[in-house]
Amino acid sequence: MRRYVLRRLAVGVLQALGITIAVFFVIRALPADPVSRIVGMNPTEDSIRQARHALGLDMSLFQQLLTFLGFHGDGVFTGSLGTSWVSGSTVLSEIAITLPTTIQLIVTSFIVALVVAIPIGMATARRPGGKLDKGVFGYGLFAGAQPEFWWGLIFIFVFYFKMGIAPAPLGLLDPELTAPKSVTNFVLIDSLIAGDFTAFKSALGHLVLPVLTLSFLLVGPLLKMTQQSMSRVLSSEFILYQQASGLEKKSIGRSTLRSALAPIITLTGILFGFMLSGAVLVESVFSLNGLGQYAVAAVLNLDFPAVQGVILVISVISLFVYLGLDLLLAKIDPRILVK
Amino acid sequence: MTPPEALLSARALTVKYPYGDVQNVVINELDLDLYPGQIVGLLGESGSGKSSLALALMGLARHPGIVSGEVNFRGKNLLKMDDEELRQIRGNSIGLITQKPRQALDPLVNVGKQISRVYRAHSQASKADAQVRAVELLRSVGINDAERRVNAFPHELSGGMAQRALISMALSVEPDLLIADEPTSGLDVTIQAQFLDRMWERARDANIAVLIVTQDLGIVANYCDRIVIMEDGKIIEDRLTADFFADPHTAYGKKLILASGAGTKSSNAEVAIATTPEILRVTDLRKTFEVEGGKRLQAVSKASFQIHKGRSLGLVGESGSGKTTVGRLILRLADPDSGEVWFKGERIDSISPKEFRKYRSKIQAVFQDPFDSLNPRWPIERVIREPLDLHTEMSKAEKAARVKELVSLVGLTDDILQLRPGSLSAGQQQRVSLARALATEPEFLILDEPTSALPPAARADMIRLLKSLQDRLDLCFIFISHDLSTVRELCHDIAVMYLSEIVEMGTSEQVFSAPSHPYTRALLDSVLFHDPSSRRVDRKIKAELEGEIPSPVDLPAGCYLAARCPMAEQRCRDDHQALIEIGPSRSVRCWKSVEASK
Ligand SMILES: Nc1ncnc2c1ncn2[C@@H]1O[C@H](COP(=O)(O)OP(=O)(O)OP(=O)(O)O)[C@@H](O)[C@H]1O
Ligand code: SF4
Ligand SMILES: [Mg+2]
Repeated sequence: MRRYVLRRLAVGVLQALGITIAVFFVIRALPADPVSRIVGMNPTEDSIRQARHALGLDMSLFQQLLTFLGFHGDGVFTGSLGTSWVSGSTVLSEIAITLPTTIQLIVTSFIVALVVAIPIGMATARRPGGKLDKGVFGYGLFAGAQPEFWWGLIFIFVFYFKMGIAPAPLGLLDPELTAPKSVTNFVLIDSLIAGDFTAFKSALGHLVLPVLTLSFLLVGPLLKMTQQSMSRVLSSEFILYQQASGLEKKSIGRSTLRSALAPIITLTGILFGFMLSGAVLVESVFSLNGLGQYAVAAVLNLDFPAVQGVILVISVISLFVYLGLDLLLAKIDPRILVK
Repeated sequence: MTPPEALLSARALTVKYPYGDVQNVVINELDLDLYPGQIVGLLGESGSGKSSLALALMGLARHPGIVSGEVNFRGKNLLKMDDEELRQIRGNSIGLITQKPRQALDPLVNVGKQISRVYRAHSQASKADAQVRAVELLRSVGINDAERRVNAFPHELSGGMAQRALISMALSVEPDLLIADEPTSGLDVTIQAQFLDRMWERARDANIAVLIVTQDLGIVANYCDRIVIMEDGKIIEDRLTADFFADPHTAYGKKLILASGAGTKSSNAEVAIATTPEILRVTDLRKTFEVEGGKRLQAVSKASFQIHKGRSLGLVGESGSGKTTVGRLILRLADPDSGEVWFKGERIDSISPKEFRKYRSKIQAVFQDPFDSLNPRWPIERVIREPLDLHTEMSKAEKAARVKELVSLVGLTDDILQLRPGSLSAGQQQRVSLARALATEPEFLILDEPTSALPPAARADMIRLLKSLQDRLDLCFIFISHDLSTVRELCHDIAVMYLSEIVEMGTSEQVFSAPSHPYTRALLDSVLFHDPSSRRVDRKIKAELEGEIPSPVDLPAGCYLAARCPMAEQRCRDDHQALIEIGPSRSVRCWKSVEASK
C-alpha cells in the first residue's frame, strides 16, 4: 500500500514534469515573439537584445530548459517556478493567490452538484419514466444546450438585476469591505480565522452565483452517471438475490449505493481535473481572479514562466486528486488491488 | 388418494417489463401449483420465461419488471403482503438458488458477511454468532478451510465455490419451498451429483417442495417427479416425469426426447486395440503457468499417449483438469515446459513457429465457442476458404468447388455462404468451424468441447455429424470434453484427466464397462442418464467423491485424489502415484486399482 502510493507519486511527478517540459517546448515553438510584447512599439535593436538577454531567451533551448529546471540557480527542483515576465513577481506567489479562489469555487460547486445529483439520480433510476425522470430529461436537453458563461449571465440577470437578491458579480467580496488577513488565501477560511463574519457572509454571498452556474452544469454528467450506475446495480443479480433472501430494505439500499459509487467517483475525478483550468469562463463572468483567468492571461501575454508554472501546478494537483480517488475506490471495491 | 394441498399456487401470474411505452409480457397469466415433497423440473427454450417465473413465485422481478396476478403461499397472496411480511417469507420459507452464483453475491462484501446478513435477517442472532454460523455453513457444503474462506470476496471464489455458498445459504434456513434456477450449470459433474443427491434427500426427508429450472433432461429424469415445460411465458406441458418420457405431448417435448437419444446408454461398438500406424505421440508433457505471488500452477503433468490412424482419443475430466492445455500444447499455441510431441515420426514441439507452419494444414482444431473463432466480418465463404488460401495452391475455381463440397459435407446448404457468422445459429457456426478445419484435409484434428456451447438439439446433431464424418473420412482426432456420454459415443480410446494428470487410460469399452480408478468410477456414476427408469437416486451404492478439487497451485504430495477418495489410505497420502499398465493399452494411476486388477 505505501509502496503503491509512493510509486504512483513518483510516476505522477515524472508525468507532470514531462508535460511541463513538453509545454516548455511547445510555447517556444509558437510563431509569436514574447520580446516584442515587452519592449513596446518601435524598439531599437539594442533594447531587443537587452530584453532577450534579460528573459534568458538568448540562450540555447537546452540551456533555457536547464535554467527552468534549476540547474543554474533557482528552478523547479529547488521549488521555484521563476518570475513572471509581465508582473515581475514570482509565479509561485501569483498562483498562491489565484489557485485558492479557483479551488474554493470548484470544490463548493462539486459538493453542491454531488448533493443534488446523487439523490435525484438514485430516485430516477428506481422509477424510470416517472415524473422526476421526465424532469431530469428536460433539464438535460435544456442545460446541455447552452455554454456555461451563458448560464452565468442569465443567473446574474435574474438574481442580481431583476430580483436583486444576489451581490454584484464582481470578485470575492463586497468592494467596500477590506479583505481579511491572508493566511491560506481561501477567503472563506481566512475570514473565519480573522473572526470577520461580515466578510465571511459577503464571501459566501459572492460564491452563490458562480457556484450555482458551475454546479448547474456539473449536475448534468454526474446525474446521468448516477442514473446509469444505479440502474445497472439495481438490475444486477446480487440486488435481486438480496431481495430474494429477505434482507431489510435499508441494508439492500446501502449495498446498492456502495456498488453504484465507483463510476461516480471516477467521473468526479475527471471533471475536477478538467475544471481546474476549465472554469475560466465562469471566472471571467464573475470577475473572479482565479487560476483559469491567470492561465489565459499568461498565454495571451506569452508569459512563458507563468504558463509553465500553471501547467505544472495543475498536473500535480490532478495527480493528488486522482491518487486520492483511486485510494478511495480501492477502499470501496476489494477487486481493485492496491499493493 | 386425494392430492395434498398445494403449498404454493400461482393464478394468472403475469410479469411485464416496461420498455418506454411498450410492455413486454414475459409471463402471461400463468397458473401453477407446487406440492410439499415434490420435485418439479421446469424446462423450456432459453427466453421462454423460466427464470422470470422462478422469481415471480417469490413476488420478484428483475428491475424494472412488474409482477401481477396471485401467488398464494400457504393460502396467502404474496403479492398483497406488506414489505415486512414478504421479507420474512423470502429467504426463510422460500429459498432461492440463482443461475449465476458469482453474480448473485455482492462483489464488495466478503462471503462470510453476506451469509451472516441473510442469517441475521431471519433470526435474532448476534453478529458474532452469525459469523460462527457462516463458517459452519460453508464447511457443511464441503468447502475446506472454511475459516479462511469466510473472509474471501466473491471474485476470489471459483464458480463452484460460490455456488456452494449460495446453496448453503438457501438450505441453512430450512425452507418449505426451494426454487433453484439451473443450480448446477456451473458445477462439475461429480459435484453436481453431490448437490442433487443432497437436495433430493432433503426434499424427501423434510417434505419440502422443489422447483428446479434446468436444460438438462438427465437431471429431470433422475431427480424430478414432475415436468413443467414453458413456451412464451405460458406452461405448455405439465406431466409426471415417467409419463412425459413415455409420450411427450408437445413439439418441444418431443424434440427434447429425440435430442436426448444421443445421450442414452448406447455406445460405440466394441473396438479393438489399435493396429494402424501411429499419427501422434505425446510423451511426458508438462506445462506450468506462473500465477500471482510467484507460485506456479501445474496445468498438465506427465501426459503421455499416442493416437493411431483412423482412431479417436477422448480426453475427459472436470474443468481445470488440463484438457484444453494438452490440446494447446499440441497445436503449439503454448510451449511445454518439458516433454515431446511427435507427429508422424517427426518431433514438432521444439521446431520454430515458422517450421511448424507447414504442419498447420495437417493439424487443425475446432474450439468450444464457435462465434469466438470465426471472424464476424467475413462472409462464411471467405471463412471456409481462408485455410485454402493459406495452405494450398488451388485455383479460384477449385477453391470455390472445394468450399461447396465442405459446406455440404458438414450438412449445410450453399445459401449460407454469403451470410456472416453473426446471423447463424450456434450449431451452424460450429459446423462452419468444422468445415474450415476440414478444408485442407488434415490428418489430425483437435476438437475442444465443440458441442458444449450448443443447445441440446444442436448438440445431438453435431454428434451425429461427427460420427458420420468419422466413418466417411477416416478421421483421426482428439476429442476434449467433460461430457462423458458424447465421448463414449465418438471415441475409440479414453484418457481421463484429474488435476493435470491422466489417471486412467484404455479403450472406450474398457474404461466405460470396467472403470478402475476411483475418480473414473465417480465420474461415470455421476452421469445422469436420460431415463427415469434408471435413476441415480435409486442406485444402492454410489461411487462418490467428497469435498472439492484442490488448488492446482498447492498440489498434495501423494495421490491428488487422496482428500476426496473414499478408498484413501495413508500410503495414498504419502506416495505420488505413477501411471501403471494393467493390461494391453490400459493403465491406471492408483496403486489400489493396480492391485485389484492382478
Ligand atoms: N494462460 C493461463 N495462465 C494461467 N493459468 C492457466 C492458463 N491457461 C490455463 N490455466 C490453468 O490451467 C489449468 C488447466 O486449464 P484447462 O483450460 O486446460 O482445463 P480444462 O480441463 O480444459 O477446463 P474447462 O473444462 O473449464 O475448459 C486450470 O487451472 C487453468 O486455470
Ligand atoms: S491412490 Fe489411493 S487415494 Fe489415490 S485414487 Fe487410489 S485409492 Fe484413491
Ligand atoms: Mg476446456
